[in-house]
Amino acid sequence: MLVLKPMMQKTSAKYFFLMPGVLWILAFTLFPLVYSLYLSFTDFRLGKEPQFVGTKNYVEILGLDGEGGDDKALETATFSLFLTLGSTSMTLIMGTLIAWVFNHDLPMLRQMRAIITMPLFAAPIALGFLGVVIFNETNGPLNNILQGLGFERIQWIIDPWGARFAVLITDTWQWTPFVFIVVLAAMQSIPEDLYESARLDTRSNWILFRRITFPLIAPALGTVALLRLVETIKILDIPISLTGGGPGAATQTYSYYVYQIGLRGSFQLGDASALSYLVVIIAIIISSIYFWRVRARFD
Amino acid sequence: MDAASSLSSSIQTTHSKPGYLPGTSRIGRYLLIGLAFFFTFLAISPFLFALTTSFKTQTDSIDGTVIPFIQYQPTLINWEQEFGLGGTETFKSLRNSALIALGSTLIATILGTLAGYGLGRFKYGIGNRNLVSWFMSQRFLPPIASVIPFVLLFRDLKLIDTLPGMVIINATFTLPFAVLIMRDFFADFPQELIEAALVDGAGHFQTFRDIALPLATPALVASVIICFSFAWNEYLFASVLATKEWKPYPMLVAGSDSVRGIMFGFVTTRMLIAVTVPVFLSLLVQRYIVRGLTFGAVKG
Repeated sequence: MLVLKPMMQKTSAKYFFLMPGVLWILAFTLFPLVYSLYLSFTDFRLGKEPQFVGTKNYVEILGLDGEGGDDKALETATFSLFLTLGSTSMTLIMGTLIAWVFNHDLPMLRQMRAIITMPLFAAPIALGFLGVVIFNETNGPLNNILQGLGFERIQWIIDPWGARFAVLITDTWQWTPFVFIVVLAAMQSIPEDLYESARLDTRSNWILFRRITFPLIAPALGTVALLRLVETIKILDIPISLTGGGPGAATQTYSYYVYQIGLRGSFQLGDASALSYLVVIIAIIISSIYFWRVRARFD
Repeated sequence: MDAASSLSSSIQTTHSKPGYLPGTSRIGRYLLIGLAFFFTFLAISPFLFALTTSFKTQTDSIDGTVIPFIQYQPTLINWEQEFGLGGTETFKSLRNSALIALGSTLIATILGTLAGYGLGRFKYGIGNRNLVSWFMSQRFLPPIASVIPFVLLFRDLKLIDTLPGMVIINATFTLPFAVLIMRDFFADFPQELIEAALVDGAGHFQTFRDIALPLATPALVASVIICFSFAWNEYLFASVLATKEWKPYPMLVAGSDSVRGIMFGFVTTRMLIAVTVPVFLSLLVQRYIVRGLTFGAVKG
């Protein structure tokens, strides 16, 4: 009895700590997700009772009925892919470069590092509006600088590619600091004597980076890349505020499209749920890879 | 900023000496310092531009000048407009933002600290790694997928455009940060301290409250600040579920262009108000940003 009692206490204690959080997620994450899955098999619109229509929504979006599918979904998904690949690669390259610079013994390193992380915590919706000013064609500072340097002024918001790059640059600017601080942390954990012994063989910084730094930060880069991928799939705030999805639908991301279908205008909740489930599947695939890589740390 | 950095250094309890690469040559070193300054400037130049523009009249704001007093005469007109006589809406939405962010942070931190303590201290049958991944997976879901069910759920529960509704939403989306940061902390917590308290006859909750929790202050601060910032910045759900009475500040920012066209001074002022709180709070938790935002996958 004396041995059993504390053990029982321990069992109930460990669930006492865990259960509130588990219940919360069950109620407010899992339930909505299941509900949304159900809705995706209905023709639900606001003001109309949902009717079960089977896989009709999915068939129509993907064009499995031979009618070409949802062109707008494809177009916006293509822009999302551009943004995902563009922002992930840009932030990784810039972040690694800046981390390499800061991985030297420089003055005011900590202060500068803190300043660089500032954009990370700013509301994306607000950064988009700042972008409206910065990318303004006629009076914005960016075009003024470009002209001052002898380049042509760029039609940032009016031209489809100008607008696409404006969104990409804004997101890259906000998230490069994230890659930077993670990669810097990885670089700083590399023992210094590795470099010292390698320096006996070579004086080239590039070889040192390629042979020592890069292989040792590669796992962190992989982790960051996966996190960036799932984050960029979600992008919505910046195009909403910076370009309004325009010109035309040039900068409308997939999430933005779902938002419009389901929550603005026609409130086609069934269609929107089906559209959103397609992106949930992609997110599940990427996050599964992520968990498979990092989960051993959580035992 | 000085106060902020000194506070942040006091939070940084175990700052180990990093293995910096020594600069190779003198010229190389100057080059690196130059690059470091350049990148730092690149990161904050849009903020600096916003700051200088917010002190300009509409006419001045498009003339390309940047240095106050020397190049242009600064004015408080934009700030007065935002906070002055017509500032009722500003104050109200800032109050809304603060209450929503504080309420959701409180819930996320309480639930997250309990769960984090459980996951850091005990072993669960399902496997701790699976539980932690499960908590994290919430953060990986595209929010657009849960907006629609939330609209319907909240309509039935009469939670649309209410404080409890917005608190629930934001607590849900920030909970993974709290769980991960606290689990990280309690997993490294000296188990002997806990065992000693238990041997002395303290209960499990009492041990948690009196022994573990007081020592967890730095992690708690980090968790609170990260949760608060994300809740403060949230726009998507607010734009659907809190459009009138409980409109938070990002909603006001989102309305900036439709109200007055592109007024540079006006837009930059609102933008600065929106970003100030989380950006300065983030300076206090530098050490936790890496771990917090990678969900413990990379140690900072």
